[in-house]
Amino acid sequence: MRHFKTLLFHELKLAFHSWNTWATAGLFLTLMGTIYWFALLECSRSPQPWTPVEGTFKLFWLPLLCILPLLTMRSFSEERRAGTLSSLLTTPASIAAIVWAKFLAAWITWVTLWLGFIPFTLLVNLRLGSVNEQRLSDPSVLIGALSFIFMSGLLHVAIGILCSCLTRSSALAALLTFIMLLGLTAAGGALESLPIESWTWLGWLREPAAHLRTFGHLQDFAAGVIDSRPLVLYITGNLLCLGLAVLAVEGQE
Amino acid sequence: MTEPTTQPVAAVVAELLTKRYGSLTAIEDLSFTVAPGEIVGFLGPNGAGKSTTMKILAGTMAGTSGRATIWGESVSLNPAAAKSHLAYMPENNPLPDDLRVEEYLTLRAKLKNVESKNVQARVEKVMIDCDLIRRAKGRLIGQLSKGFRQRVGIADALLAQPKVIILDEPTIGLDPHQILGIRDLIRSLRGQMAVLISSHILHEVEQVCDKVVIINRGRLVAQGKTEDLRRELLPNAVFKLTSNTPLAQLLEICLQIESASKIEIQENLAGGWVRYQITIPTQSAIRENLAAHLIKAGVAFREIAEEHYGLEDIFLAATRRTTNDGLKN
Repeated sequence: MRHFKTLLFHELKLAFHSWNTWATAGLFLTLMGTIYWFALLECSRSPQPWTPVEGTFKLFWLPLLCILPLLTMRSFSEERRAGTLSSLLTTPASIAAIVWAKFLAAWITWVTLWLGFIPFTLLVNLRLGSVNEQRLSDPSVLIGALSFIFMSGLLHVAIGILCSCLTRSSALAALLTFIMLLGLTAAGGALESLPIESWTWLGWLREPAAHLRTFGHLQDFAAGVIDSRPLVLYITGNLLCLGLAVLAVEGQE
Repeated sequence: MTEPTTQPVAAVVAELLTKRYGSLTAIEDLSFTVAPGEIVGFLGPNGAGKSTTMKILAGTMAGTSGRATIWGESVSLNPAAAKSHLAYMPENNPLPDDLRVEEYLTLRAKLKNVESKNVQARVEKVMIDCDLIRRAKGRLIGQLSKGFRQRVGIADALLAQPKVIILDEPTIGLDPHQILGIRDLIRSLRGQMAVLISSHILHEVEQVCDKVVIINRGRLVAQGKTEDLRRELLPNAVFKLTSNTPLAQLLEICLQIESASKIEIQENLAGGWVRYQITIPTQSAIRENLAAHLIKAGVAFREIAEEHYGLEDIFLAATRRTTNDGLKN
């Protein structure tokens, strides 16, 4: 992992100086603000079994599918298209350091975007306090849901980085990321909805289905339940994707 | 930077390098060396495999077989050590458009193991050497002209004072003034670092390089000092003679002077004068005083001059020879 720190600072600097990041951040905050606004409206009309923050985070898949690919798509594909990756590989920096620096920079940007949502809840809470006896923002729910986003982000961002390694086209990288994230997010729900119990020959799918239920993980985290299985899933998934990304870069150069 | 205890005999070794893409062979059994401090020109027609060879030596592409070492370190087995002795400027010199020149060079210096305390000084030094300090230091690379971009690439190559520099077409797209500047810069590296440089401008290579390596269709066709190659590939000396002596008589005289002589008419000029081409072996004893021999034999002439063979002729002879061999095979 030679030169990891140098590369990470460089990637972060690039990310926070890039119009792409700022445009993506604007899009993200607009999207999240809109969702939160509708959640607030819903809660103001009649009491709901969920808080506005919970309602907003239930739609976490929207920014995940629409925003995350925009953050990761250029990381490798753009460098490959411009040829600067070859040039970078002639330095003593290792490929693993390059991949991890790009991943961590993208993950930090993703986390920062989500942290940008907190002021919305603080402002609303400060101005309105509660509506219909319902607390507008339960800090524990907010912290739990954000923890889920950060933890699952390890895998989701790594998928984006891997997809960016596979092509020279940023648009194609974004599309690949979208498809893979959609598959991953939907897979758990789809498997759960299958009548696995009645199909004995599909019995082996029961365990994986239980592990992949992304929305269930969000609920657990928001409720403050820390289960080691999703942690293992996201961490091992992250290591697998980044390992494959290293191999992809090695193979292409 | 890691310093081996002893200086290796060769700064760059390519030994039986082969690269295949499926059924297509880009280079085959390519072997050559570059000595420390030596400037070597790497020549070949388009598609000969120059860039492929350079990429393998720089470690950005894996060869199919063979061995490549940089300053004694294997490029494939110990890439980090090999890269620490090497700077490579690829063809078209890809650079990040959204960084400023100084910012980019500072990053590259850090990645190339330049000590933190020396980074600023080294960046300043190479910017002065490459004439970037006044007009390009704070500019975005994306806004630079082709010439300045090439200078940034060369400045990057010089940053860590590597033992070996590989430059793939460093003067492509530059105007004559810029070519002159870069040529002087490369010449100034002689004795300090080994330089392997590919270029299509043969005159430039001849002026700068101590030795040339010529490849064609992925195979080595010639290597050595220009003078040695001239002797090997162009075994005949050619004279241009303007005389009014008839061909038959002149041929008879020439054969008496040198039995291996050949004569052909180049051009019929006004007033009965003819421009002949006389070919004799380079090693012939009469080469140095052919004019005296002709005068002694009573040949009247108004002009005689030996053709000078440049690197272009050597290159053409070497590549033509292998092309003909290939056609025969």
